[in-house]
Amino acid sequence: NFCRSATMAAKKDETSKEEATASDTSTPKSTEESKSVVTVPPLIAAGKRLERLLGGKKTAATSSGGAAAGATATATAQPHGLPGTGSAATLTSTVEAVLHSNPPKIVRRWLGTSSGAARDATLDDVVGAAGALLDPAGVAARGRDVLLALAPDAGISSDGAAAAAASGAMEVDGEEKKDGEEGGGEGPTRPVYLVAAAREVEAYLLSLAIRLLLAADDAHAVQKAWAVSGAALDILRGHMDAAARATARAGAAGALGGDSASAGGARGGLGSKGLEPLLARLYRYRCLVTEKCVVDTEALRSELVAAHRLACLRRDVDTQSTVLNLLLRELLAADQVEQANKLLSNSTFPDSASNNQLCRYLYYSGRIQALRLEYTSAFSNLSQCLRKSPTNTGLGFRIATQRLLVVVQLLMGEIPERTVFLTEGMRTELNPYMKITQAVRRGDLAVFHDTVSAFADRFKEDGTYTLISRLAHSVVKAGLRRLNTSYSRISLPDVANRLGLPSVESAEFVVTKAVRDGVIDATIDRAGQYVQSHDLVDVYATTEPAEAFHRRIAYCLTMHNDAVRGMRYPPDAYKKQLEASRGIVPKDDEDKTDEELAQELEDEMDEEY
Amino acid sequence: PPPLFYLLLVPVTLPTMTDLSALLTDLTGRVDSGDVEGGKATLANLKIALLDADPTSDTTAQIATSALELGVLLSAADGDLDAFARNVSQLKPHYASASATAAASSRKNHIIGLNLMHLLVDNRLSEFHSELELLSTAEASSPEISFPIHLERQLMVGSYDEVLAAGSRVPHASYGLFMDHLLTTVRDNIADCLEVAYKTMTMDDAVRMMKFGSVAELQSYMEECRDDWIVEDGNRLCFAPPPTGRKADDIPSKKLISNTLTYAAELERIV
Repeated sequence: NFCRSATMAAKKDETSKEEATASDTSTPKSTEESKSVVTVPPLIAAGKRLERLLGGKKTAATSSGGAAAGATATATAQPHGLPGTGSAATLTSTVEAVLHSNPPKIVRRWLGTSSGAARDATLDDVVGAAGALLDPAGVAARGRDVLLALAPDAGISSDGAAAAAASGAMEVDGEEKKDGEEGGGEGPTRPVYLVAAAREVEAYLLSLAIRLLLAADDAHAVQKAWAVSGAALDILRGHMDAAARATARAGAAGALGGDSASAGGARGGLGSKGLEPLLARLYRYRCLVTEKCVVDTEALRSELVAAHRLACLRRDVDTQSTVLNLLLRELLAADQVEQANKLLSNSTFPDSASNNQLCRYLYYSGRIQALRLEYTSAFSNLSQCLRKSPTNTGLGFRIATQRLLVVVQLLMGEIPERTVFLTEGMRTELNPYMKITQAVRRGDLAVFHDTVSAFADRFKEDGTYTLISRLAHSVVKAGLRRLNTSYSRISLPDVANRLGLPSVESAEFVVTKAVRDGVIDATIDRAGQYVQSHDLVDVYATTEPAEAFHRRIAYCLTMHNDAVRGMRYPPDAYKKQLEASRGIVPKDDEDKTDEELAQELEDEMDEEY
Repeated sequence: PPPLFYLLLVPVTLPTMTDLSALLTDLTGRVDSGDVEGGKATLANLKIALLDADPTSDTTAQIATSALELGVLLSAADGDLDAFARNVSQLKPHYASASATAAASSRKNHIIGLNLMHLLVDNRLSEFHSELELLSTAEASSPEISFPIHLERQLMVGSYDEVLAAGSRVPHASYGLFMDHLLTTVRDNIADCLEVAYKTMTMDDAVRMMKFGSVAELQSYMEECRDDWIVEDGNRLCFAPPPTGRKADDIPSKKLISNTLTYAAELERIV
């Protein structure tokens, strides 16, 4: 029964109130009236959802925690709903919940599902939500003040915020009908503040506000955004520092669930993990704002470095990966390739970071390597990035990666496929690059230079101009190869002509260099002034095919091993088969212990994330 | 001895701006006149004086920048590549901070060009290209900087004759140091290419291609570095032919065996 309510909470399925008889483990918010169908702004709904998620897990936890937890659970059957009261007992069980669950995962998932609410939000909504959800006397007070200070912009006074809070106290999301147990002591005028999710929601609302101000696209708003982002980072850093201190204290204080004072401290300690994804988000917005503001980037850089250090110490994977990417982006924007390279070689990218951050990291490393003439590693990084990037969004990112990939391929001496340029949505963007590829294929230096100068501005904008100017060498290589395969013997003046080289002497030198580099296989006869190509060696007689096959085989085998390791089976799938084969009829799943169910839930959330 | 002891007791006075400027003008004069030794001594004094000067004022920064630039020119004239590299790396932060205040000195392009030449000669191509990234378009088209850029392009493409001919059109005399080094590198490259591309060649042709002055120079070069070139008939150079023919040793048997065993092991694992 307990577990079912947890399932309901976790999956955010609204069920009928008959099922919600797990009343003794309900959260303080469950005083919602069952009858009113007032719709609540989606932001407030999202905030309450997080509260439920972070507190709702405790139902599973308390049931699995055993006797001690059960005692505390019954203790929380008591008053709830009144803000601030009963918090001690609630906190204890929250602590239990947080212990057994994974706050960053919950928060990340919640962020994903709330993006719908965030997309349509306006500044008014944000301020209203701040007024409704954040306790002016609680931990989130500073954030609330910052957000409400934006109110004059948004045209709501603090009274209005209270009014919005009042409506927020009423029913959430029409369908949900948790019964108002214990009489639901709250009247519609008293706002319900978040307890467990306070800081997360505060950070979330702050980040939304920054984004909206940025989108407003006027200088004044951008300045405000910068101020807000600075304040937001301070607030969050303060929370996390306090949390870190509290963890130290709680660790010293000993067992959990003892007296509520230490439990309150412990709650602070454990709660900081959930803030990590939001901290990463705030840093990203801060960088965006700084770029728009054109404020001193040096200070930003030192700030990011300090943040990275902290994140590594705290094993904060989200912030670590985000801040590393932001630093690389910043250094590249300032053209400091050497410094970016040093950063790259001295830092490690965490393996468990999200896929989007990994894509960004691969793109930046690929770019740095391309600028430093390490073309093969750049090529592998960029192609991996392209493979891993999401296909339904981020077209701009894919275009940028594809551009860079084409240029790197050209620099390596390979000609990219024609289909690459004709993919959906990229055709116009990649058009100059297609012209360049054609010029390189023709092997004519003059044509190449003309094309480069024709599209020079475009390339400078894309940041690929310096890379493309290195292509002169590839043009010559490609041209020589074509001549070599089509002519068994060709005179040097003709070579100079075809390749657009200035003189016969230089043509001679160029050919000798190409022979030395292994581009062509030929000899020059100086007396006769011609180049004689050797007969094509049968490639299959060398070990080349074996090596090529080996590379492909190794890649396939690694992929296979990774896939096997990554397989997930639905729990107990094998049991059904086994029992069916043994002729045992499976019983109802009541024999599953609560722990197993909780674990299953966690695995499911894991999967979906 | 008593005089030194008194020297220690004398209080150190901070150098004033006028002191620094005086030293600077002295240094400029020496560099312009080509007095390397005297210039180095003055530069050392100036550097010590700068240590005590106020680091935050703009004039100090400017004086420091000019001093280091002159130091770079001095070391280039002196042929001291270590000092050159040191001065350039000390100069870089000044340029980075000065770009914000847009107080670019007139010698900046020159210094950057010299640095590029240095990287090119040392064959540190990745750093060369990273430096290029930091340049703006205006800077890149100035003669001092476009010279090394064109040089690099020609080296990559392989038109060595242009490279060697470029020695005559250096934008500044201080480039001469690097051009000499470059010449030796280019000669080595050309020799490598000749080995592979030609079967035989007359001595005169070789002399011309490698831009030696005479056959005697070519022969001394050959004795130094190219032992495997055979001189036939007193006039034809014969490069050692590349080894041909297959033998049993040519098959990388160990590698093939290990590869095949890996495949077998992995395939067995597939259920």
